[in-house]
Amino acid sequence: MRGSLAAAALLPLGGALASCASSGTGTSTGGGAATTAAGAANNPFGVASGSSVDAVIFNGGYGYDYVTFAADLMQKNQSGVTVKVTPSTQIAQQLQPRFVGGNPPDLVDNSGAGSIGFNTILDQLSPLDDVFAANNLEGTKIESTLYDGVREPGTYNGQFLAINYVLTLYGVWYSQSLFDANSWTPPKTWDEAKDLGAKAKAKGKYLFVWGKEAATYYQTLAVDSAIKEGGTDVRLAFENLDPKCWSQPQIQAVFAAMGECVKNGYFVPGGAGTQFTAAQAQWSNDQQALLYPSGSWIENEMKKATKADFKMTGVPEMVLSSSPKLPYESLRSASGEPFIVPKAGKNVAGGKELLRVMLSKDAATNFTKTKLAPTIVKGLVPADGFGSTALQSQAKMLDAAGKNVFDYKFVTRYGTNKDMLVVWNAFLSGQTDVAGLTSGLQQITDKVANDPAIQKEKVTK
Amino acid sequence: MTFDRISFMVVFLGVPLALFLVFVISPFLQALYYAMTDWTGFSPNFNFVGFDNYVKLAQDDIFRRSVFNSVLLAVVVPFATIVIALLFASLVTVAGGASGGIRGLKGSSFYRIVSFFPYTVPAIVIGIIWAQVYDPQAGLLNGILTAVGLERFKSFAWLGEVATAMPASMFVMVWALVGFYTVLFVAAIKGVPAEIYEAARLDGAGRIRTIWSVTLPLIRDNVQTAWIYLGIAALDAFVWMQALNPFGGPNNSTLVMPQELFNTAFGKGQFGYATAMGVVLAIVTLLFAAAVFLGFRLAGGRDSGSRL
Repeated sequence: MRGSLAAAALLPLGGALASCASSGTGTSTGGGAATTAAGAANNPFGVASGSSVDAVIFNGGYGYDYVTFAADLMQKNQSGVTVKVTPSTQIAQQLQPRFVGGNPPDLVDNSGAGSIGFNTILDQLSPLDDVFAANNLEGTKIESTLYDGVREPGTYNGQFLAINYVLTLYGVWYSQSLFDANSWTPPKTWDEAKDLGAKAKAKGKYLFVWGKEAATYYQTLAVDSAIKEGGTDVRLAFENLDPKCWSQPQIQAVFAAMGECVKNGYFVPGGAGTQFTAAQAQWSNDQQALLYPSGSWIENEMKKATKADFKMTGVPEMVLSSSPKLPYESLRSASGEPFIVPKAGKNVAGGKELLRVMLSKDAATNFTKTKLAPTIVKGLVPADGFGSTALQSQAKMLDAAGKNVFDYKFVTRYGTNKDMLVVWNAFLSGQTDVAGLTSGLQQITDKVANDPAIQKEKVTK
Repeated sequence: MTFDRISFMVVFLGVPLALFLVFVISPFLQALYYAMTDWTGFSPNFNFVGFDNYVKLAQDDIFRRSVFNSVLLAVVVPFATIVIALLFASLVTVAGGASGGIRGLKGSSFYRIVSFFPYTVPAIVIGIIWAQVYDPQAGLLNGILTAVGLERFKSFAWLGEVATAMPASMFVMVWALVGFYTVLFVAAIKGVPAEIYEAARLDGAGRIRTIWSVTLPLIRDNVQTAWIYLGIAALDAFVWMQALNPFGGPNNSTLVMPQELFNTAFGKGQFGYATAMGVVLAIVTLLFAAAVFLGFRLAGGRDSGSRL
């Protein structure tokens, strides 16, 4: 009796062994399953008719309807193929079981605060060289239609694994109408910025504003300034997590200038306790602050909280001296929104085909029109910027920068942003000084540099 | 062994036991295993590294900080919640008048209902609302304080200053949890015969003395249970801290162990290391429960219910 009871209790446990968290089977039958006549002109990857494509897209500042637009186009072109687009705000959390279980989606927009760290899935992604080599829907080779340097951000250890779809550039944003009304000009150097801060203070306004989740936007501003001033060597020191990278003279000079701004009260107080979109609204709606350093997503992000006739305009980030190594017009331009095609997806060809449609004229133009941001496809921003002053100034900045664009990956690659936020919030609220900021940041990058379990990539150019 | 008996045992014993073993015990054991690997969480391949993760944890200053914060919460939040809940429960049941029958304050039935409201609101909603209340520029709290004339609170960052971030977060937790424990203690106090309170009152006991010498010993089991529940909730506190300060607060002063675990697992892709954190969290919780049991045992023994 007791025995039978015990036996009855143990039966379901037999199935429990299969519920182990990392069932290491990961049978990758998915890879080539959907290839038929590869190489047909309108079906270069050979998407099988009647197959389905599963795309999981990060639903953030840019939404996900632009992928649905491309999916509809693709379904029209490829008869019998169905494309399912699912939004997600927590890519890593939602897709982790699928990656481990060996059934990931066919296309993933791996972006946002909850994105999967690339160094953990590098060996599970398909190289995407064939997407760039294919022709777009208009018949032109895709790679020739793109801006320069868009392969770089998606290249890891020499392999091209992610297509970054949106051309994001980093700059300092302000309201043209407010500046015109007060006869102010946007600053080109940090000294000019400090002067502008004094002028703002005289009018009862502030120069900068920050929110607690976005305190590291000022780190972006500082590092970009230092790189423009000091050139490639400064950038490589950061990328390779040098033991003294935060003590380089250029970054120290920028920190000193920022420290003065903090001391003189040029930052809107209380930022360390303010949620970042509320803080950004203080800039875009209340106009309490003059400048805000951000990526070019800022206009779309604050669309609903921008004062009428704000005339949002962007300028390149400040430099230190009058003769920086890279010209003042140079930009940190990173293509963002990395799209990946996992190797073990059931319909790898379908994922690549969807990318091909997204990189063609109609879908790319639709993105720029609705999100007011350029994609990596050249020449699709009209002169009037679809009515957006920010988009117009983005196009202007990109043209002025020309080949002088740079990027770096060390923060996103090693996931140190969260730890850096703590140090920056303390610095911007005046609790630590420049020395404290430097040592705090150095400690964070040293921790990654000295940890043998974290895979690091040596950057040489 | 009738069919009735067997089916009864299967449904009410077998199935729950199986569910418990599969969904609670098995993951726990798996966690012990994964904590000794370097699994990133996203690939089926990983290596066994033994106790390296625990060594790394001991040297990780951010994790140590989160342990300190969790323990601080576990010490303060149960104590504050129980004291306030006990006070409210007594006010509402026996602290009514110095003469006449034993009853609570006027309007007690209304207070009882209202005090339970915060518990019906999901924790994340409470967290988001209070995050807005604490907003330096547009928040309700600073608005009220400056309207009363306290100018220094004009842009005070309650969740941004090291000195106030943790106390402010603790306040939100206590505020939300008091209601449930008030109701729990009210039920417990109602189980105590009214004659005992009348006798105490006749002997000249004031309200505070009554709570300390009469109520507390008589409902000690409920208080012990409440203490353990509250301690476990405080050692978790993930929802509250994420809603108020998703990145750990100024100088990581509100970072708790579950937050650090979550960030390490999904933000940095280090599942093995994060699992080790989980094991440490489980051990801390067990130690806490053991400490509470020991404390209560020392304070009055197990079997003696009342000490009149």
